[in-house]
Parts: sequence; structure tokens; C-alpha cells
Amino acid sequence: MSPAPFDVARGSAFRPSDRTALAYVSRDGALALYNDYATHRSTLVHEPVLRGEDLEVRARWRGAAPGPRTVSVGGRVQGYGVFTFPYGPVAMGTAEAGAFDLVTYGERILELVPTVGYKDRGIEQAVVGRTVEDAALWVERRAGVFALAHVSAFLAAAEAAAGRSVPERELWRRALAQELQRIQAHLRLLARVADGASQNVGAAQVHALEEELLRAISRCFGHRWGFGALLPAHPSDRLDRNGRTELADRLGRISRGFNGLWETFLTSRTFIDRIQGTGTVPAAESVRWAAVGPTLRASSIAWDDRLRQPSVPYTDLFVPLATEANGDALARVLVRQEEIRASFLMLEQMLERWEGVGAGEVIPSPGIAPSRGIARVEAPNGDLVYDVTIADGRVASLQSRSPSEANWPVMALSLRGAVFTDFVFSLESFGSSFAETDG
Amino acid sequence: MIDPGSVVFLAAVAALFAAAPVAFVRRRAGYTLSLAGSLLVVTAATWALAVGPFTVVSWTGVLGSDVSLRLDALSAFFVLVAGIVWTATSFYSIGYDDEPSAGLAVSYALTLGSIAILITATDWLLFLAAWEAMTLAAYWMILEALGRPSRVYSAAFVFLAFGEASTLLVAVMIAATYSTTGTFAMTAITVAGPLASVIFVAAVVGFGLKMGVAPFHMSEWLPIAHSSAPSNASAVLSSTLTLAGVYGLFRVVTLLPTGPSWWGALLLVIGAVSALLGAIFASVSEHAKGLPAYSTIENNGLILVALGIALVARAQGLPTLATFALYAALFQAFAHAVTKAALFLFAGDVERTMRTYDLTRVRGGLKDADQLASGASVVAALSLAAAPPLAGFVSEWMILESLFQSYQFGQPTLEFIGLLSGAIVALAAGLVLVAMLKFIGFTALWKPTHSAGAVPARGLAAPIAALAGVVVALGVLAPWVLVFVTPTASQLLGTTAIAPIGGLLAIPTGWSIISTTPALSMFGILSPPAISIALAVGALPAIAYYAAGRRRALRRADAWSGGRAPPRTSETYTSFGYSTGMRIMLHSILGTREIRRSAGPLGTISEIRSPETYDVELEVLDVFKSFYDVLVRLVGGTAVALQRAIMPGRVGRYLAYILSMTLIVIVYVAIAFGPR
Repeated sequence: MSPAPFDVARGSAFRPSDRTALAYVSRDGALALYNDYATHRSTLVHEPVLRGEDLEVRARWRGAAPGPRTVSVGGRVQGYGVFTFPYGPVAMGTAEAGAFDLVTYGERILELVPTVGYKDRGIEQAVVGRTVEDAALWVERRAGVFALAHVSAFLAAAEAAAGRSVPERELWRRALAQELQRIQAHLRLLARVADGASQNVGAAQVHALEEELLRAISRCFGHRWGFGALLPAHPSDRLDRNGRTELADRLGRISRGFNGLWETFLTSRTFIDRIQGTGTVPAAESVRWAAVGPTLRASSIAWDDRLRQPSVPYTDLFVPLATEANGDALARVLVRQEEIRASFLMLEQMLERWEGVGAGEVIPSPGIAPSRGIARVEAPNGDLVYDVTIADGRVASLQSRSPSEANWPVMALSLRGAVFTDFVFSLESFGSSFAETDG
Repeated sequence: MIDPGSVVFLAAVAALFAAAPVAFVRRRAGYTLSLAGSLLVVTAATWALAVGPFTVVSWTGVLGSDVSLRLDALSAFFVLVAGIVWTATSFYSIGYDDEPSAGLAVSYALTLGSIAILITATDWLLFLAAWEAMTLAAYWMILEALGRPSRVYSAAFVFLAFGEASTLLVAVMIAATYSTTGTFAMTAITVAGPLASVIFVAAVVGFGLKMGVAPFHMSEWLPIAHSSAPSNASAVLSSTLTLAGVYGLFRVVTLLPTGPSWWGALLLVIGAVSALLGAIFASVSEHAKGLPAYSTIENNGLILVALGIALVARAQGLPTLATFALYAALFQAFAHAVTKAALFLFAGDVERTMRTYDLTRVRGGLKDADQLASGASVVAALSLAAAPPLAGFVSEWMILESLFQSYQFGQPTLEFIGLLSGAIVALAAGLVLVAMLKFIGFTALWKPTHSAGAVPARGLAAPIAALAGVVVALGVLAPWVLVFVTPTASQLLGTTAIAPIGGLLAIPTGWSIISTTPALSMFGILSPPAISIALAVGALPAIAYYAAGRRRALRRADAWSGGRAPPRTSETYTSFGYSTGMRIMLHSILGTREIRRSAGPLGTISEIRSPETYDVELEVLDVFKSFYDVLVRLVGGTAVALQRAIMPGRVGRYLAYILSMTLIVIVYVAIAFGPR
């Protein structure tokens, strides 16, 4: 039995403080999840009384209609010589289909307005009426880099909704897969930041490490992004004794390679200069705009779902928590490289203790309503929430709030007053994905 | 025997002045008469340069000395430059002037006439009278922007204040000259020592005020840029009124004996600082006339730098370098006057077509509306940005070439000043490129959207194009201009250095400008004709390709806009944005600061947290303006305090003041002029 993931309150019984951030709110507004960074507790509120800023945060997350929508954080600049510089969605330098409006009088970004929704595939609507197994195939295709986190969160929510117990070993498998993918996602982000600073050789070396890791995932789970690896009906992996030894060997090599490479990065003054003090998000703004994950931790707020809302197997593992104080691009990069080390450490622990994992079943935490479950997972970019309702063994509704989606407002804020050339460092250090945002 | 040239010039002056009363009755007739007068000025000057100097008229002045109008080499050169500019501006004015009153046309004619007299006077009193007449006529011209919502009154007053300060200093200079030569005639001043320095410094400040060099550049940019002075007036002011200052300085320098080398060093410092400030402020100006006005400060600074090199070289006994630098200064004056007139006339065209001088609103509006004028302005701006083979390129090369040779000065301090000025001038030259590209980019070259075509102002393009033609000819034919048009060293300084003309390899002798040093027979060489021929030959294949009809294969499409709808006008770069980098980088010089004002709250739910719609403004300051503001406050405050102390409304105290002043004057006269 997992520890209770959150307190439950109703309506006005819950009083948020200024250290409380809205972590999730359901589409109809009947359900809200708050994180309290003072007490490190989450509270699930039924029939919540949403504050003005909560309404505002929700408005940033969710547009009313599908399709392109802007994530404006308020304020409107006008003045002599001020103009809008449109960038994207199909432009050099944006890896995905997403657009930005840079309001500027030249050189300096007065306001940044991201436009999301170009990649809206309607996955949340498309899975309604499908079996959990079938729906998982859709969910994991939302954003390949984060596939394993999404499918884990979806399955956990579906299991909580159905009240179905899960084999303990299966939970270990999910955690192992997620940590592998976290390292890969973080490596990719570091490479892209380095690329932005024209650290071409370093970026190429990090990409090479990422490729090594992708191959390790592929060897272990049969697919580079882990597609299909966690589907309940067809668990396929190569995690027998030989497979584990091979994986441990590969990970050891990658870990050593990364450590050496990171030394080089930290001694590159040109690299550090570009990201230090760039795209700063103060802690208060992070809380106010409900930022999550490494972005939040880089502004000195110690919140990690693996620690604050631990589930099997994180309850049994040593989980290092990385935080940084400055909230700039350098802090976000440092948090991520710490997390790479932490994930290597956790993988080592998991592989060592794999034999001893019990064959028992874990009963999921109770659903929040009949046939409705909420699950949270610390995805590479941060807190990922899935809210699933199951009826007759099929998905009746699916709602989610991805970490990328949560982080756009602070990303937009971080560039106010910055110069154009800071843009790439802010964009890449947040690592928000348009595909994950749009769903 | 009467020289035919003198008849022509007399007719020219008569026409220029007669244009004033004629314009009062029929404006276009007045401008036409000005045009005729200008053409006659050009003819007379050409005659003087080709045949030799001549005296136009001569009479016995009030104070006994002979007063005359004379076209010697120096006067003829400057009158030629002015005449070329006036020909274009007068022709332009016929189609341009739609002011409600005839005042502009009348004051325009008077300004031209005064300048013509000023440049040809052989007597300092006549010079001073013409100088003052020019200042007043120009003041009137600026005032003629009356009826437009602007700060024109205060701007015109600033112009007059600086103008009178200039007259005062020129008068001091003349008085000091008279005290040593005993005549008002422009004869050589033989005195050395402190008095010579007094004359020199008074001349530098007095004429510098008119040239608008630092720290007096307010006198140049404020009236032209911040008032809506008509564009033909601006062209005359910026090109030929500052040219009058250049002429005055040249005249004094040629009359003075070889002075101490700090004279030249002073000019080097003033010139370099002016060039840099002018270039910086030009590149951040958003006003279609303010930008060229600042550029005038830069160019006049360059003239001072070249003249400074010449003076130092003369003092240090380097006649070759002195000659070369003088040629550079004169050529720069010529190139600048012509190109700057073209730019100001183009700015008038811009205003007539787009109804604004604001570059952020013009947005390339002239590109399709007036292609001839646009092309001409591109030529003029490229010349100011020193693009080969145009006039500005040649003069800038000569000035930098002179600066490179400052290593010969022989005194570490002087060499250091030369080196520093060289670095500053090179920096200014680079910054001017930013300013010029911005000017032509956002008026003539780049049009962001397919906005509806503006209605072009008619009949304004031809004079601009003609001036652009002169700019090209000046550049391409630079060696011959130097030989036949520019006064020679012997005429200016009495030295015997030859014109810096030569040849190299396949380039025939006479086709190249060379600078030499005592040690090197060839320090640097430039052949504008050869460069032009090379450029033309290089362009032949492209011309042939287009002539063969390949132009039809050209496919035009909208620029890729990231997959979204084509950008609206509000989504394209503004000219302000183009130079914001400069504003931020040079914030310590420009005093850049961002001002944010709330523009009223918005009540929608999505704006709860950050309700403010705010105005943002990136403001730049001219440190010198702050200085003058303080000065004005001080003087104003003192005046008010004095007034209250002396004239508080009590007759007794006022009478006592008058009596004591009278007594002081009587005592002073008795001591100073009484029998010894």
C-alpha cells in the first residue's frame, strides 16, 4: 500500500497560502490539486473556490478551443518604435511547430508571447471509448521523448480508477524505464543549450552519449523511445540477469563519459557566461505561475514528486533532490545535470536490488471518485498529472496537465528585458515541448 | 579692361538679390530668378578657376580701405560649391514651396545673396555685414515653418542665439586682426604670439558655431531637426550656411602666419569629437532631417580634422602633408555640401509624399512612389557612408590617409593626438554607415508590406538626381577636380608643394591621387577613375544578362513568415528597432534610459495579475543639451536676480544705478584713451 498521495479537502475548507501553487485543475473546475511548498504536502480540493490567480493560471494552461492559442502573461506594451517580431511556427531554430511573438523596440525583448496548439492532435478526445491498452498506445505517442512518463502516469491513473492492483515488479519496471528516459531527455536538453552557445564539439559529444542511451533503451525494451514497453498485455524487456549486467555496463560507460564531459563544460567560460543570469525566474514567480520540475527546483523550491508523493519503488530508494538558488538558465542546467547523476544512482540501486523485488501486488491508492483516478509522475520536465475516468473497462474521459504546459508562462516571463540572443538559452533551458503541451 | 567673369558674377549677385522682391510678388518667378543667379554663380566661378582670379567691383569703403568683391582661388572654389547646391535647391523650390506666405521665398533669396557676398568680400567689415545678414535671413527662413505644430519658435531662437554668439566672436576676431594690421582689408596677418592665437581661437569658435561642431552642435541640429523648417531651407542651411563657416575658417587660416602646432591639435580634437558625436547621434535619429543634420556635424568635424592635420604639419615643417591634408579638407567640403543638399531635398520629397518626417512611419514609402529620387538618395547616402567610387569615399580616404601620416609629426604628444583622432574618425566613419543604411533603408530601399502606394510629390526628383550625378562625377573624376578646381597649396599657404597626382603601373599619370612622405615616394595611392572602370567592367555581364531579357524569369513571392499569415505592418522591423542596439551599447554616451508609463487598466479576467498596458519609451539624451539647459537656467536666474536687485520698482535705486554706470564708463574712457 502506497502512502496517501495527498490530503483531501472540500470547497472553502482549503485555504491556500502564498507558498501554495495550483498543480492541476480539472476542465470543469470541480477538482483542484494544490502543492504547498511550505509544508511539502499536496491537497486535492473538491468543489474548490478558485482564487483570481488560480483562474489566471488555468487560463494560461487551457484554451477553450483546440488549435493555436497564445500564452500571454498579461501586460501589453506599446510605444514609439515598438513592433512585434513573429517567429515560427515553421522557422529555423524552433525544433517543433510552435510560435513566438517577440514584442520589442529592437534588440530587447519587452514581452514574449508563445503560441501553442499547432501540434494539437486531440489525443485526449481520441482515447475516449477505447480500452486502457489501446489508449496507452495513443498516450505514449504524445511526445516521444517523454513517452514512458506519460504512459506510466496514464496507467497509474487508470489503475487507481479501476481499483486494480499492480505487480510490484511492474512498478519497478516503470521506474527503471522512466529514469532511463529522464537521463536521455536531460542529455538532449544539455546538448541543445550547448548548441545554442556554439559549443559544437561538446554538443556533439553529449548527443553521442544520448545516442548510446537510446541504444541501451532499445536493447532493453525493444524500442528507442520505449514505445510499447510498458503496455500491460505485452510486457517485453530484456531484464534477465544477462540483460541487467549488460545494461549496468552500458550505463557505467555513459555515466563516466558524462562526468568527464561535464567537467569540460563547467570550465568553459564562454558557455557559462551565456547562461549565467539568463532567463531568470525568481522563486515567487515560479510559485505564482505554478511552474514545475527542474524549473521550479532551479528557483530553490524543493519539490519533486518522487520525494513528496513517493510511490513504489521510490519509497524504497535513495532519491537525491537537486535544487539551485538563482533561477537562471545556468541553475536549470545545473539541476538537470545533478538529476542525471541522481538517476544513474537510482538505476544502480534498482539493478542491484532487482532480484529481491517481491512478486507481490501493490494496491493503488484509492481513486478520488468512483471510477476516477488521478496519478502524478515526476516526468523529466516536472510534475505530470493524469486524471482518468474508466467506465465498463474503457476510458470515459482523460484529462492531463503536462509539465511543458505548466512552464510556458514562466518561460515567457523569464525573457522580459532580455536581448534577442538570450532567447535560445531561455527556450532550451526550460525544455518545454510543444508536442507535450498540445497533446 | 573689364573681365567678362566680373560681369557674370555681378549679374549673378544682382539676380540673387533681385529674386527677393520678385518672390514677394510672384514666388515661382523669384525662385526662377534664384536659379538663374545660381547658374551665373557657377559660370563665374568656373571662369575664375579656368582663367584666373578677378575683381568684380571695387569701391572705397567707409573707413578708407578699398572694399571689393573678388573671386580668387579660394573664393571661387567655395562659390562654385555653393552655386552648384543653389542651382539644385532653387530648381527644387519651384515645385516644393507651397507655404501660405511668400516669406520663405524672400528669405531664401536673401540668404543666397548674403552668402555670395560673404564668400567674395575682400574686406572684413563687408564680410561681417554679410555674415550677419546671412544669419538674420536664415533665422527668417526657419521661422517660415510658422503655422505648423512644432517647437519652431524656440528652435529658431536657439539658432539666432548661436548665430549672434558666432557674429560676436567673428567681430572679436576682426577687431583683433585690425589691431595688428591696421586695416579691415583681408591682408596677411604677420603678427605672431598671443595675439595670433587670440585671432585663431576666436575664428575657430566663431566659425565653429556656424559649422555646428562640438560642443556647439546644438546650433546645427536643433533648428533643422526639431523645427519643421522647410526642406529647401534645410538644404541651404546645412550645406551652404555651414560652408560659409568653413570658408571663413579657411580664409583666416590662410591669412595667419604659421602658428604653434597646438592650433592644429585643437582642431584635431574638436573635429574628432564632433565626427564621433555626429555619427552616433545620426545613427539613433528617427527624423528624416535630423539624421542628415547630425551627419553634417560629423562631416564638418572631418573637415576640421583635415585642417588640423594641415596646420600641425605646417607648424612642424611638413609641407607635403600639409598640402595633402588641405586638399582633403577642401574636397571633403565639396563632397559634403553636394551630397547633403541631395539628402535634405530627398527628405522634403519624403515629407511631401508620406506627410511625415518620422522614419518609423515612412517605412520605405518612397521605394515605389518616387524611384528616381530614391535612387539618387541611395547614391548620396552611399557617398556619405564612403562607398567607392563616390565623392565621399575619396575625401574620406584622403582624410584617413592624412591621419595615417601623423606619425611624422615628430612630437610624441602631437603624434598621440593624431593617432587618437585617427581612431575616433575611423570609428565615426563606421557608425555613419549604420546611420546612412538606416536612412535609405527605411525611406528608399526596403518596403515591408504591399501597402497602398503613396502619391508621389511631383517634380522634386530631378534636382536630387542632378546632385547625385554631381556626387558620382566628383568621385570618378576626383584627380581632375583636385587639379583644376581645388585651390592649390601655393595659393593657400604660400608653399610650393605640387598637387598629389600621379600614376602607377597601367594607370596613366594624372589618374591617381597619391600621398607621399619625405621618406617614401608613394605612401598611399587611390585611383577613382580606375576603380570606376573596374566596377563598370565588372557590372557588364550582369547588365548584359538583364539586357538579354532574363528579367522576365524573375519570380516574386512573399517572404516566408514562419507559416503564418504574411506579416502586418506592425510586425516588421522599425527604423527605431534598427538602431536600438546602438542605444543600448552606447548607453553611457547617449544616456539611454527606458521610461515606462501606465496606460490605464484593463478589466478582463485574464489581465488580473498584470493589468497594466504600459507605454515604453527608450529615450536618449545629448549631454551637451543638458549643459546648455543648466547654462540657460543659470543665466536666466542671474538676470532675474539682477533685475530684482537693481530695478525693484523704486526710482531712486534705478537712478543710482544709471548714474554709477555712467560714471564708470567715463572713468574707463578717461584712463584708457586719455592723454598720457
